Amino acid sequence: MNIDTKIFCIIPSYNEQDKIKRTIRDVKKIIKNIVVIDDGSSDETYKKAKETGVIVLKHIINRGQGAALQTGNKFAYDNGAEAAVHFDADGQFAANEIPRLLKPLLNNECDVSLGSRFICGAPKMPWTKKYILFPIARLVNYVLLGIKLTDPQSGFRALNRKAMESIMIEQDGSAHCSEILYKSNINRLRIKEVPMTVIYNEYGQSLFRGKGRKKGGIQIIKDLLLAKIMQ
Amino acid sequence: MFQQIIALLIILFFLVRLFWQRKNKQVSRTEFFFWLIFWFLVALVIIFIKKIDILVAGLGFSATGIDVLLYLSVAALFYLIFRLRLKLEKIDREITKIVREIAVKK
Repeated sequence: MNIDTKIFCIIPSYNEQDKIKRTIRDVKKIIKNIVVIDDGSSDETYKKAKETGVIVLKHIINRGQGAALQTGNKFAYDNGAEAAVHFDADGQFAANEIPRLLKPLLNNECDVSLGSRFICGAPKMPWTKKYILFPIARLVNYVLLGIKLTDPQSGFRALNRKAMESIMIEQDGSAHCSEILYKSNINRLRIKEVPMTVIYNEYGQSLFRGKGRKKGGIQIIKDLLLAKIMQ
Repeated sequence: MFQQIIALLIILFFLVRLFWQRKNKQVSRTEFFFWLIFWFLVALVIIFIKKIDILVAGLGFSATGIDVLLYLSVAALFYLIFRLRLKLEKIDREITKIVREIAVKK
């Protein structure tokens, strides 16, 4: 597949000095334009990312994954991106699945393409996520946002220019996943789910905590409720 | 009676402090009048506490006037905390915007 030069891959990273180089190297084989957002890391993430020669933006203080993604979106949009791929820095996603994610977007079948861990049957994942976190997340998405999707918290997604323009991520933490779905819905953007695989590591998100700012399932629910009140 | 005097002395302390803060321009004019009226009302409540007891009983509450005031103040505090939470959230979003602008412009 020919990945257009106007497609940007946005990689938010927070204290990922051990994995960032490998992630960038893997993505570089697929997409040329890579924007890493160092979200106020206290380790050498910024330096290591810079060494790879990609564009690296730095948040002077940690603001959370959602905030970093919006910074990347803004940069990509301002630089004429036709589409943006959101990709985790911690090596949980497979870069060779990016073309599959982009395919429906490039064929104009959708505006937002989402990777889903649940399309091809039950994936291997921690039982707390499978039986507690995700069922709650699906319920919250349905009750609070009116959205029904197989994967309620997928971070592997691609947005076309129209979607980048319509969706301004205001949730700084992990609640951005639900927010993107909600804003896609209210802006009548076409959503499509494609199968994806995730390799789980020790730093994954749980019900109560996660790596970085505003993480964890309970925090996500709190953020979504607060956003609903503030509307 | 003794408790009422102590309460009024505490209010007097806060009022003196308020006037001092206003003199040193530590509180805005609006804030000054808000707290002035607030402490004035509290003083009135303390002075007429017996009448409030009768009023509260007339409204059907089983508790005394001071108890009902305590319940109301807890509810008011919850509301103020909620307002504060919303304000903090807005400030948080503004900080993110500033951090983003710096990141993109550098």
